[in-house]
Amino acid sequence: MNIAVLSCIHGNLAALEAVLRKIDQQSVDQIYCLGDLVGYGPYPNEVVARIRDLDIPTCQGCWDEDIVDGLNACDCSYPSLLAETRGRLAHEWTNQEVTPETRAYLANLPLTLQQDSLCFVHGSPHSQHEYLLPDTSAFIAMERVLATGADTLFCGHTHVPYVRHLEDSHLTLKVGSPSTQSPVPAATPLPALQRIINAGSVGEPRHGRPNATYVIYNTDTQQAKLHEVEYDYAQTCAAILEKGLPAIFAWRLSKGLEYAEKADDPSHVCER
Amino acid sequence: MITVVAGPCGAGKTTCILQELAQVPMPAVYVTPGVGPVPIDATRVAARFPQVEIFHRQPETDLLQRLAAGIPAYFEMGFQLETDMPLLAAQPHRRVALVGDKERNADWQLWADAVIQGNQSSLEVNSAQLWQAPLSGQVFDPPSLDTFWQELIQGAYGEVHRAKGIFELVDGQAFHLDFVDSLPGSAYTELNLPRWVQGRPNRFSGLEVVGQGLDERAIAATLKDCYLSDSLLAAHQATLRDSLALEAS
Repeated sequence: MNIAVLSCIHGNLAALEAVLRKIDQQSVDQIYCLGDLVGYGPYPNEVVARIRDLDIPTCQGCWDEDIVDGLNACDCSYPSLLAETRGRLAHEWTNQEVTPETRAYLANLPLTLQQDSLCFVHGSPHSQHEYLLPDTSAFIAMERVLATGADTLFCGHTHVPYVRHLEDSHLTLKVGSPSTQSPVPAATPLPALQRIINAGSVGEPRHGRPNATYVIYNTDTQQAKLHEVEYDYAQTCAAILEKGLPAIFAWRLSKGLEYAEKADDPSHVCER
Repeated sequence: MITVVAGPCGAGKTTCILQELAQVPMPAVYVTPGVGPVPIDATRVAARFPQVEIFHRQPETDLLQRLAAGIPAYFEMGFQLETDMPLLAAQPHRRVALVGDKERNADWQLWADAVIQGNQSSLEVNSAQLWQAPLSGQVFDPPSLDTFWQELIQGAYGEVHRAKGIFELVDGQAFHLDFVDSLPGSAYTELNLPRWVQGRPNRFSGLEVVGQGLDERAIAATLKDCYLSDSLLAAHQATLRDSLALEAS
């Protein structure tokens, strides 16, 4: 069975349509979406309507949550003053733009989705806002996968796609009590292989090119393939300007740079 | 001995003078005529060589006294200025031109006593825009400054041929940032200045951009979004002072 996993569309309808067209040609049995349907981009309602109409199982992203519950970010959301200013501008614009129907849809999205040994989240099972970066410590990465009970964790949020294998890992437990002499297990062996697969971003890539990225995963062979799709990003840039979003968003999108948020501290654990 | 250094925008004039200053006995004099309210090069020279006397606003009589005393003097002629100064007409001096291969024309050969290899410049002087902003008192967080700088030099606010600036960072250090479009990347140099750990820095910082089609309003607005507020600055500086006190104890 082939599944396609997309994430972080951020109101970029042209990018979503291009990815959906490509997926149509790839014998995909099921599509999953890891959230962040809205935020920064010019078409939040249209993107939500498209995902909803196609009945794509979707979990809630950090931007989706912020639009529902309001901003309440920890440091990882805003790595700089400039990012914070831009993030707030985008939040205010999106908050004004979304319809009650869109907001209700976003509010009802689940935080995780599970299918057999696969788990789907936006940031991490700990929080939609937490970044699982390629160099996040192996201990934290393993703990996050184990917390789901799955072998393969699909996430987004970083906007940079990657596949990380966590092989032959052990969690060492040391539980001591002065009142008991019972032997303490030195280590708990884990299944041989867990993996984290990051789907990158459909609508706001930060890999240096404006192309959308997504993943196709074969559940039989357990092979993941990252896909990159060119699309007419100039169309989205024009809409950013036309709709009154900051012009710098259009420039950054055209360069394959994230609009504002940029997590690069693998040691940060989200405190939200 | 008086040395006059001239060349196109971004040729490397200040760097050349810094290299020469490292070789001459102190004291010495550095002169930047017509620099206005954004003396980036002069601040860079003063930070590297505190013994060098900087002239960019002082009375000409003081400068003439130093020249009469035979103190080594370096004049840096901005690319937008005439290369001949009335003040130098009666003074024996050596003329050095820094030019890239493509700009080695007869004018430079005729003017200079020595033509040295400089960085290439693709600037059309006639259509060039020069934008300057004094930033004294403003303090930046490094990630914001880095984002702004990358956007600036990659063309988000117009075509930039040359950008240089001195910026105060939240850790109390001042940095010189330098971009020339014919060179790869930017140079980031920490200035040899005391860390500023209390209040807003009362020393020069500023930015100069040379290019074409510059969106000056957008540059100014983005810079403003990077400034630390009084309360944020106070909080960071309190932590910084505690940390420095701990290191010292």
